[in-house]
Amino acid sequence: MTVDRLFELASAINPGFYLIAAAIWTAFAKGLSARVLGLLGGPFLALLALLYPPATGVEIAREGFAGLDLSLYRPDSLSLVFGFGFVLAAALAGVYSLHREDRLQDSAGLLYAGAAMSAVFVGDLVSLVVFWELTAIASVALIFVRATPASHAAGMRYLAIQILSGLMLMAGVAIYGFEKGSFIFADLGPMRGAVLAGVLDVNAPGGWLILAGVGVKAAFPLFHNWLTDAYPNTTETGAVVMSAYTTTLAVYVLVRGFAGLEWLVWIGAAMTVYPVFFAVMENDLRRVLAYSTNNQIGFMVCAAGIGTPLAVNGAAAHAVAHIVFKGLLFMAMGAVWMRVGTTKATELGGLHRTMPFTALFCLIGAASISALPLFAGFSSKSMIMAAAHGPGLMAVWLMLLFASAGVLEHSGIKIPFFAFFGHDSGKRPKEAPFTMLLAMGLASALCLAIGVFPGWFYDLMPYRDAAQLYLAQDLFAATHVLTQMQLLAFAVLAFVVLRRLRLYPPERRGVIIDIEWLWRRAGPAVLRVVDRHAARMAVATDATAARSLASIGSGLMQIFAPRGWAARGLPLAGTAIWTVALLGFVAALAMFK
Amino acid sequence: MSDEPDIAGKRPAASTANRDEHPLSVLLFSWTRSKAFGRVFLAVLGGFCVVLAALEFVIHRHDGAVLDALPVFHGVFGFLSFGLAVVSGWPLGRLLRRPENFYGDGDSDGGEGGDDR
Repeated sequence: MTVDRLFELASAINPGFYLIAAAIWTAFAKGLSARVLGLLGGPFLALLALLYPPATGVEIAREGFAGLDLSLYRPDSLSLVFGFGFVLAAALAGVYSLHREDRLQDSAGLLYAGAAMSAVFVGDLVSLVVFWELTAIASVALIFVRATPASHAAGMRYLAIQILSGLMLMAGVAIYGFEKGSFIFADLGPMRGAVLAGVLDVNAPGGWLILAGVGVKAAFPLFHNWLTDAYPNTTETGAVVMSAYTTTLAVYVLVRGFAGLEWLVWIGAAMTVYPVFFAVMENDLRRVLAYSTNNQIGFMVCAAGIGTPLAVNGAAAHAVAHIVFKGLLFMAMGAVWMRVGTTKATELGGLHRTMPFTALFCLIGAASISALPLFAGFSSKSMIMAAAHGPGLMAVWLMLLFASAGVLEHSGIKIPFFAFFGHDSGKRPKEAPFTMLLAMGLASALCLAIGVFPGWFYDLMPYRDAAQLYLAQDLFAATHVLTQMQLLAFAVLAFVVLRRLRLYPPERRGVIIDIEWLWRRAGPAVLRVVDRHAARMAVATDATAARSLASIGSGLMQIFAPRGWAARGLPLAGTAIWTVALLGFVAALAMFK
Repeated sequence: MSDEPDIAGKRPAASTANRDEHPLSVLLFSWTRSKAFGRVFLAVLGGFCVVLAALEFVIHRHDGAVLDALPVFHGVFGFLSFGLAVVSGWPLGRLLRRPENFYGDGDSDGGEGGDDR
């Protein structure tokens, strides 16, 4: 067999499978060399497969399973750009995690990356659901690996939410696929005027259920607390890994499946705004970054809803850039957490004296997320802002502009200022280990490479010509750079003035209650009251209860007996909905634990 | 740098601060600690904002939508948005902040307190 033939065979495999194979390898790898081979070899092979895809828009691998045609590898321009982001995340996290020998964490991280990567390259909804659920299973291991009561509780809540959303997705796909007679989830949809139409019909049976499942994973408003709950409760590496995949995968599905859906414009705009207020109040800087993730995903969701080629490019570019700069910020906070033992702003300050490299890299991440010209966020977010600056979108554009100033506050200033500068906490921790610094250095270099030389980055976009036209005419146009610099400089001026006038709220210890209060405090309290009253009633009405139970039992027999109502043939859609409802009810109950 | 293990929080702040400092920190950040830094930074930043506002009249063509065409719109909007986000932290904090163990499952502190594993 020639080398060419071997290469041909290797490039015909979904790149995510290389990461999954590396995950299996690292589960048994002992010693640094074996770990390096798994943690970096897997992403390297996946990157090679990405750089030399056999063809785009064509089905490469197809399998039959249970009467379904599964399309296991169908790369196109959209999947390639998301795949590129995922492989970068896997490689950076691999380098970052080398300081800590933890086979479960290594393996779970790679499995998570491999499942996410596989999901963007499959060409059917069934395979997508399977790999998406694999991401949920792998990611929860990253929370449990910390092995504290708080992380265990957070892991259970995370699992319940992920299962709930997965079930919605699964039921939606089952109903949608059988109604439509096809599970295909590939290619970009048709253009309707200047707007891309998603390949999924939201108004078809099951369509809204799919959107709801994806929405939970994208952390839509009211379903966003799994982010802020999970990220601060994992390890330093766990937070870096978790910030890259689940929400980004949701953005990918929204772009391919539901682009041009107007609802998404408003949901995304709302997502950009409200986390700003929570992030201002929050004391735990890793939780601030989780709110910041919610805010940045909002930009991408909004862009998916706008749906023009420029907006789709913006969503894809910002997804990849966000993986890099948010990963960088999580890496910096992870180093602080590891060295100091906390990321609470009240306990930090002045760390730049002994952690100058980490401080410098954090500043680069902060400049990138703030969209300072010549940094990654400027190259990516500008396309979304430009796409939103059109007729009929003024309110949305103003919301995004407000959120941009808010991002500067919580991620651009608050994170580096309170951790590394601000008041001197007197803490003098060691600088982060070399491998952590190396990963942060690589991520910083990528932030600059995307910001200073965006041409190569724009070449990866799904609508390459539109991206290159934007680069040639608008990105570095004097007007654009000037207005962006005005926004940022005047916002920094507001920070300095408010600090001098003592109007900037001091950091205070405490937790900020959010919608999660419903299932973490109100739900258990209601259950306790119900339980107490039920126990009293059971004692008081023992005989009546026995009769009632017998009657219920007889009723159930009539329903579930061999010739009962439940044994009759039911439509698949109805069965799927009832199954989801029951499992969802169980998952919801589990959250109150 | 001292050879002793740096366990976070075990050193007094002022007396050992300079002795522990990383040379790169001195090179990159020591200028931010001078007493005049706050005033100088504010003056430089204020001047920079004035220049940015003035530049708009030279290179900004005001060909956007109604709001975008207002002079120094992005600067004023950035200042006010940032101010609104920050100042809202006072009432919202009073309304929504609870004690750290409000949910009763411990908190997210941990780490390794200074040592490599």
